[in-house]
Amino acid sequence: MVGSPVLLIAIPLLAAFMIPLLGMIWKELVRIVPGLVLAYMMISSASMLMYVTNNGTIIETLSGWEAPWGINLVFSPLTAFLTTLMTFMGFIVWLYSYRFKRNVDFEPAKKYFIFLMMLVAGAVGIVITGDIFNQFVFIEITGISAYALTAFYTGRNSAEASFKYLLMGSLSASSLLIAIAIIYSQLGTLNMADIADKIHLMPAGYKVTALIFFMMGIGIEAEIFPLNGWAPDAYTEAPGPIGAAFAGIVVKAGVYAMVRMVFTLFDVSGTMEVLLIIGLITLIIAETAAVRQDKLKRMLAYSSIGQMGLVFVAFGIGTLEGVYAALFLMLNHAIIKPLLFLSGSQLVFNSKEKLIKEVNGLGKYMPYTSILFALGAFAIVGLPPFAGFWSKLSVLTAAANEGMLLIIALILIVSVIEIVYYFRVVNRIYFFEKAEDVIPQKPRINAVIAMSILGAIILLIGFNPDVVSTYLHNASADLMDTQQYIKNVFSVGQSLTK
Amino acid sequence: MFEILRYGIYGGSISLILIGLYAALTKRSLIKIIIGLSIVNGGIHLLLITIGYVKNGTAPIFSPGFENAAERMVDPVPQALVLTAIVIGFAVTAVALSLIIRLYRHHHTLEIDEIKNLKW
Repeated sequence: MVGSPVLLIAIPLLAAFMIPLLGMIWKELVRIVPGLVLAYMMISSASMLMYVTNNGTIIETLSGWEAPWGINLVFSPLTAFLTTLMTFMGFIVWLYSYRFKRNVDFEPAKKYFIFLMMLVAGAVGIVITGDIFNQFVFIEITGISAYALTAFYTGRNSAEASFKYLLMGSLSASSLLIAIAIIYSQLGTLNMADIADKIHLMPAGYKVTALIFFMMGIGIEAEIFPLNGWAPDAYTEAPGPIGAAFAGIVVKAGVYAMVRMVFTLFDVSGTMEVLLIIGLITLIIAETAAVRQDKLKRMLAYSSIGQMGLVFVAFGIGTLEGVYAALFLMLNHAIIKPLLFLSGSQLVFNSKEKLIKEVNGLGKYMPYTSILFALGAFAIVGLPPFAGFWSKLSVLTAAANEGMLLIIALILIVSVIEIVYYFRVVNRIYFFEKAEDVIPQKPRINAVIAMSILGAIILLIGFNPDVVSTYLHNASADLMDTQQYIKNVFSVGQSLTK
Repeated sequence: MFEILRYGIYGGSISLILIGLYAALTKRSLIKIIIGLSIVNGGIHLLLITIGYVKNGTAPIFSPGFENAAERMVDPVPQALVLTAIVIGFAVTAVALSLIIRLYRHHHTLEIDEIKNLKW
């Protein structure tokens, strides 16, 4: 085991604020240090994932205050799995954007990497913290860096997309704070395990109100239906790698916060059905909207929302199998959608409008990027030899075991819609003639390496899905077992007092 | 008497939240929207402080003359939460205002109706 959970938050935050100082010493450090930090985080959390798989949950008590009073970090199979996934995606995003804007200016790169580090630190914090107010703080850290990154390009629309995101984000953060106030006034605690232990003492009315405010507060990062108005604009206006970071890091943290709350914190009956219905609405609306888009990144953004809807459908099935399927979907989406964003933003690199029709015939001129984009498209719609097939199959079997035939039918119909709009793009890349004024962009070597790693993982999971199934099984068992979560957190406090 | 005051403060904080929401959702000027958000935050902070308040309370510090005052002590946790929330609210407001400056440079207006280029 290398390192400890708290370092996964402390080191990127420290690095974020050191970057301006390091840049004064040597400008290249601004680009190198984030990579080193993210590589350390990736290796450290992967080794802790191994440790957790064999030896059980790591609970870290901060500054000696035991579980119900202080803040603790919970590094369980589920959070370890998600942290490894998110730090890995952070590393890929860094690798892709290493030489980003090199020839333009030193200043944008500095800001870009500061906010990227803060984004990763916040998202990791959301996942591993065991305290709801702490989680609120990390949600705001992630949110503020996401607003700033959305407005990274000084073009006309990016500030507007960012402002829209900020408006929705801060309203929902307020509702999260109201939920925390309700819970604290009723139970007198902020620790998640303690809340899960005492939630049955809370009157039903307060409980439902708190749950609704919580869902409104976290749903914005998880892109669920009424709260995802920011996503298409933010994904479109943000730089390509940041779209990848949103899909691979921020949204995953939001989904985790949502399901931890629904599965562990609250015991309100019927929440699973609500999750299922919200997921279905999100899925259907987003996928039908995606067909009508004429901008490539906007289409990918709607597809990303739709995939999150599918994840919530799988969680809403409520069985162990359903949770397994949902986590598998999250893993696949976190790898495939960044690949699509990275290769897609290479395809439309030199275009001003980023329209889908501008990729016509690029298959001949940008062969490698086109193949990777096609691979991502095939994988995300769920063609058999690729990664997406196994996750979609596990969602369908989980639904079939519960007898939810209507849901299976809806998922299959939506998959057909998905195939239509992805294959339309792939068709344009390979079988259309290139327009005169489109200039193909030769991808830089680091971008090619980043995209190839993602492509290789898609093929690896596609041909051998067993490599991840142990971790997914442990993670889904961890999410379903509330009593074990409470016991794990409190066992540390007792051992200290003895 | 104290209970009435307490409910009055609860009512006041909830009406602050509602006033702020009204401003944030209906006003057309970007600056007014941000003011609305700040009012919402203020209402929530007041709500949190009220939750932790105790009648005739003292500061939660064991000092000479207050050795046995544990029952009268005001709950310090909501105050810590509010301090953190104020700092976060300040940061969000600063980011929002900087975005408004940039929007104004591009569009030369603060009316949200004249700015909308992106579809909702």
